Amino acid sequence: MAERELLYYKKFYEEPLVLDKPIPDKMGKDMYFCFGCRTKHCRYICPVYKELRNESYIAYGRHNALLSVAKGLEDLRNLANTMTYCLECNACELRCPNTLFTADFYRYGTTPTDFTRKIRRDLLAQGVKPDGWEEVEKYIAEHMGYFEGPHEEITKWAQGLKLPTSGKTVLFVDYWTAFNATDIARLVAKILAAARVKIAIIDHPGVTNGELLDSDLKKWLEHGKHTIDALKAAGAETVIVINPHEYSYFVRQYPKYLGTLPFEVVFVTDYVNDLVKKGAITFKNSVNMVATYHDPCALNKFCDVWESPRELIKAIPGIEFLDEDHVSQWDYCCGNGTATFRKIHPDIAYRIGRSRLERALDLEAGNLIVSCPHCQDQFLEVKDKSRLPIEIKHIWEVVAEAMGIEK
Amino acid sequence: MQSTVQLGEMLKEVVDVVGEENVLTDMHQRAVRASVAAPFPLHKWEEHVPDAVVLPRTTDEVARIVKLANKYRVPLVPRAGASGLCDGAVPLKKGIVVDTKRMNEILEIDEANMCATVQPGVQPVEFNRILRPLGLFWPDDPVSYYCCTIGGRIGTGGWSDLAGYGHVPELIRSMQVVLPTGEVITASHGGGRKLAKSSVGFRTRDLFIGNQGTLGIVTEAVVELYPRPEAQWPCIFGFPSFEAALRNADRMGKTGLKSLASMTLFDEIKVEGLRRDDPAYIIQPESVRSVNYFACFGPEAEVRAAQDILFRMCEEDGGVYFGQEISEGDWACRHERYHNTFHSRTSGGLVKPGKWHCEDAAIPFSAVREVFDRWHAIAKKYTDRYGDIFDDYGGITYPNNPFRPWGSYICEIDIMIDESKFDEKIWQEWLNLKREIAEVAVDVGGSISACHGGTRPGDVEVACHKELAEGQFDLMKKIKKMLDPNNIMNPGKYCLDEAYLAENEE
Repeated sequence: MAERELLYYKKFYEEPLVLDKPIPDKMGKDMYFCFGCRTKHCRYICPVYKELRNESYIAYGRHNALLSVAKGLEDLRNLANTMTYCLECNACELRCPNTLFTADFYRYGTTPTDFTRKIRRDLLAQGVKPDGWEEVEKYIAEHMGYFEGPHEEITKWAQGLKLPTSGKTVLFVDYWTAFNATDIARLVAKILAAARVKIAIIDHPGVTNGELLDSDLKKWLEHGKHTIDALKAAGAETVIVINPHEYSYFVRQYPKYLGTLPFEVVFVTDYVNDLVKKGAITFKNSVNMVATYHDPCALNKFCDVWESPRELIKAIPGIEFLDEDHVSQWDYCCGNGTATFRKIHPDIAYRIGRSRLERALDLEAGNLIVSCPHCQDQFLEVKDKSRLPIEIKHIWEVVAEAMGIEK
Repeated sequence: MQSTVQLGEMLKEVVDVVGEENVLTDMHQRAVRASVAAPFPLHKWEEHVPDAVVLPRTTDEVARIVKLANKYRVPLVPRAGASGLCDGAVPLKKGIVVDTKRMNEILEIDEANMCATVQPGVQPVEFNRILRPLGLFWPDDPVSYYCCTIGGRIGTGGWSDLAGYGHVPELIRSMQVVLPTGEVITASHGGGRKLAKSSVGFRTRDLFIGNQGTLGIVTEAVVELYPRPEAQWPCIFGFPSFEAALRNADRMGKTGLKSLASMTLFDEIKVEGLRRDDPAYIIQPESVRSVNYFACFGPEAEVRAAQDILFRMCEEDGGVYFGQEISEGDWACRHERYHNTFHSRTSGGLVKPGKWHCEDAAIPFSAVREVFDRWHAIAKKYTDRYGDIFDDYGGITYPNNPFRPWGSYICEIDIMIDESKFDEKIWQEWLNLKREIAEVAVDVGGSISACHGGTRPGDVEVACHKELAEGQFDLMKKIKKMLDPNNIMNPGKYCLDEAYLAENEE
């Protein structure tokens, strides 16, 4: 992963684009390398395009938009809203012919997600806000409030679990999970305890969400550094990450800017799957359901993690598993996106989520198993609104039931 | 052509038809719809940026937009997947781009009559996803498979890699077309919309295939469906010379094998080019100088029988099998590599930016070798002069004859270009290169395009004034003027403005 990150790390993205000033040459060339293709394999794979059928919003359209600024046709300010129509799901980066065929020997790939984040940040820094950005600001402020608040509030999710604040193996629980997916965090802690894994938690992480990454890189990295320091201070040798979004930041973003991390980072499905393989976890209950699995973008499309959730599901007795392979799922998304999308475009997010649930129903699955708390939150909302006949289950709910662990 | 006032007035009425969210006027949203996949003169980008973009959903909306365009005399440019290589969707006179991608409904799948009714914005990749569980198959297989739409394939009269299933003209039963004056008609064989053949009336259907949006906008099509093939088997054989591969292709085509769905030949320069960066070719012995590449689709029993015949005949002709892994891998990524911006290496193996652009032509089989020799000589002239901008990546040829892989071939020469270095001088040189290539095709009794379309900048004049000089172009002009009295529909394409100039001169 680290090697790939360096291959795709464009330091010149850190040079801000300035309103009414020429677009730097390197940036212009970067845009041309996307424009030059024009076969737009990034189009049919884009979940937003599938709903809106407007190619202005696909990776090609967004690169082309900045190229039109570089060529003096367009004003940079006018790109603000267009840049919000990206889920940051990374399908386009994976499907780009540059990525697939030539990036390795050219030492150059197309990086639409990093590009979109950069344009958003550069415009925000100069006071150009897209429509609906207030919802994003509100969300960041909420998490900043947690960060500035007392320890007890932050670790309230773990009440009664008697988790120490130092140890070699640390479970990293971000603010979203701690406050909005409390049950999932508690289940993971109980599952690990049942497998006799001694885990610790840190009582005061920084703000790690993608909304801040989309808004202010410097501040996001300051918080990232704070989090890494806190984990190190807690004695972490292994950090188990519970939220796929945060996992992608730990493995793809922090090392890029902050260097090699002083501990190993593991996603929780990988960790638990190893415990199952070693026999430290056994499934004593049958979980009778017909289910398919949804690959979260942050795991499948950013980090290439897709095997362990499937292996876990297959290991649980009673599940009739209707698998849809992870490459077919490159063009799926729950509709939340990995940062700001759902907050700005809730209606489009709903349509994307609904389309995904319909794909699961095409397989005649009665249950959709997820491994991301954001996917769970989004799908539950879509299910309520659409009344589609499918149940949304978090993988830890299913694993806990099979192990006989109560919520 | 149109004034800002006219345009503004028209757009107000267009908003009434399709709603504000379906009319795009931001510069960057218009600019992205100025180019297609063909080499583009970025230094003249502004000249091709449309004044507005409309995304209709229904035939009625399209018809009302077309009527408004006539009322205000504003050009309309139909746009589908925009993956074409002949600039059909590039606005030459600005105006309004009618982007048909939102017309993406599959209206009916008629399993009894083996056809489906679709809107033009349906993409083959999406269509086949729906058809697969039904055991059905839409076989149109262009390199742009993942990004084209069925409407665009009709508009350009597309060619398919799976020629054994027919090309686009053989895959369309009928269409609903909005004419340039806004009337909606059915273009078909006879009267029925689902018929594959009738002896009644003119063949109106054919008029609306491949006209590059100059005669109307297709808003629905009834398309052929095939049973999904039980077996698919690609295989590549290396040959000691292009002549040997051609002999083999000719013999193979005449076997009458029904499952022989696709056949592709690479000439010596193409194989040499692939040796620069393609692992499948780097490992081949020097004795491999040309390639013949087959794909058999059909019932398993037939494909198995075809395998035996293919192996025997290729061996007889000096062919060497590349093996299953390379054959299947190459086939699986046949839609992927063509337009990559970073697809170039110098003959010394150094990487350099550059993408392939291929010029195609329909050529009688007996002239294929001669055409490639002459094309490579032309390419050399330009690569000697502009080695850092143009490069010759060799020739490819395939049988062009649908269902009958013999007699008529399509030839393509891949020119590697570094488009980012285009200025006006180089752009004009590029057009000259294309013109010379087209003239060779016409000279041997061929057509300047069997696949991409004939309205390419640089060589469109060769098509209209030399290739179609036996009255065909004169008839085209008469038809254009009759159907499009105000020259609304994609003006400037196919030299058809000449139809209106002639009237003024009279």
